[in-house]
Amino acid sequence: MLKKRLMGVVTVKNGWAVQSFGYRRYLPLGKPECLVENLDRWGADEILVQVIDRSVDGLGPDFKLLERLGSIGLETPLVYAGGVRSVSDGIELIHLGADRLVVDALLHDDLSSVHRLSEQLGAQALIGSMPLSLKGNGVEWLDYRNKMLTPLTDEMLGLIQSCIISEMLITDWMHEGYPNKFEKKLVEKFPLRDAPIIVFGGISEPAQMSELFQLPCVAAVAMGNFLAYREHAIQKYKEGLQGMPIRASVYESRYPLTADD
Amino acid sequence: MSYVTVGIVDYGIGNHASVIHSLRDIGFRVRISAEIEVLDTADVLVLPGVGAFPSAMQALYERGLVSYLQQQARDRRPIIGICLGMQLLATASHELQYTAGLDIIPGEVIALPGAKWHIGWNTLESVRADPLLQAVDEQAFYFNHSFCYQGPAEYHVCITRHPRPFASVIRRNNIVGIQFHPEKSQAAGKTLLKNLITGLSHA
Repeated sequence: MLKKRLMGVVTVKNGWAVQSFGYRRYLPLGKPECLVENLDRWGADEILVQVIDRSVDGLGPDFKLLERLGSIGLETPLVYAGGVRSVSDGIELIHLGADRLVVDALLHDDLSSVHRLSEQLGAQALIGSMPLSLKGNGVEWLDYRNKMLTPLTDEMLGLIQSCIISEMLITDWMHEGYPNKFEKKLVEKFPLRDAPIIVFGGISEPAQMSELFQLPCVAAVAMGNFLAYREHAIQKYKEGLQGMPIRASVYESRYPLTADD
Repeated sequence: MSYVTVGIVDYGIGNHASVIHSLRDIGFRVRISAEIEVLDTADVLVLPGVGAFPSAMQALYERGLVSYLQQQARDRRPIIGICLGMQLLATASHELQYTAGLDIIPGEVIALPGAKWHIGWNTLESVRADPLLQAVDEQAFYFNHSFCYQGPAEYHVCITRHPRPFASVIRRNNIVGIQFHPEKSQAAGKTLLKNLITGLSHA
């Protein structure tokens, strides 16, 4: 049976890994490579590296960061987000070691490029990012570059229904970074019931994660800030999620005790 | 002490750092090349791959590797195809257009039955006893694909369900195809690669 996934998120700004709070306040954590290596060692199911200043500053993807991460030889699938502008950007990122890509600004600016990316790389390699907040009985979609909120468009929803992208990353941007604050209604009020969803932002407690994993549309739970406070954080969370349809926690020693190990 | 040398067939598609890292971590000597002279020095060939079937076949043709790989298979040289690399071993694929493959393991590559794609960690079920793939039942490995192999049951070694069963490991003599990414499957993937390559290199 296909497992649901616990994803580790590393947020990068100005070249440094940061803790992010509500898309507006940031605290430095250190080198992104160190955090990514930890998540790899702890057995995260996927690692998402999101570089949040690339689209805002029109810089394109952070190829140099991905080159450094690609050369580590990660044993965990790597998802990259940040500054993807075109098909050639996407191909270069995969060539440098990303297994999958997240598009966000491109969903606002150029859906034809999203179509072409899907044709070139396959829909399974594409994730659509949607920072959402509640409004009335529905949801609003944030363009994080100009902080504008808009309703979800039919064109956008059609893109998901036509399987151009394989999963949606729904971020509770208002509560991102704040413990146990993820708004479950964002998933419940998302107009498409059968779209596979990755939830992120304000998720910190095993009980909260269990509730989300029980929603049929939730394929993965993503965590960022709350993985930064203790060693073996992924394993500890997984141990608190027993009974959930996820892969068991894994501890690996790099030092064999016998010749056959 | 004799080292096993693994030759990664580099046809210009995808990033091989994780495969190289996993193989070196296990203790194999690794060479990565599109040059026949270099690949000839390897005990086992690994054919990795991401992307679409037609462009991958085109890249193999452009580098003169299609006839080389077919000849290596006839000479019973061990070859392991990973993900798209497994699909390239088949007779043909229906991805985007009908494209002839290496035709080393008879069968075709078709869209996944009953699902649009298959992303994430899933388990294997052995359907044929194979000493090189012991202890893989119920282990989870990382999959990321939307097409799969369909061919004679005699080549099926393991299946995976999503929700309908499809072949996740196939084998014909010394040629093995793996639909998932062992290099991205952490400890389980490394154990599988170690057993498989060690076994094939001594077969």
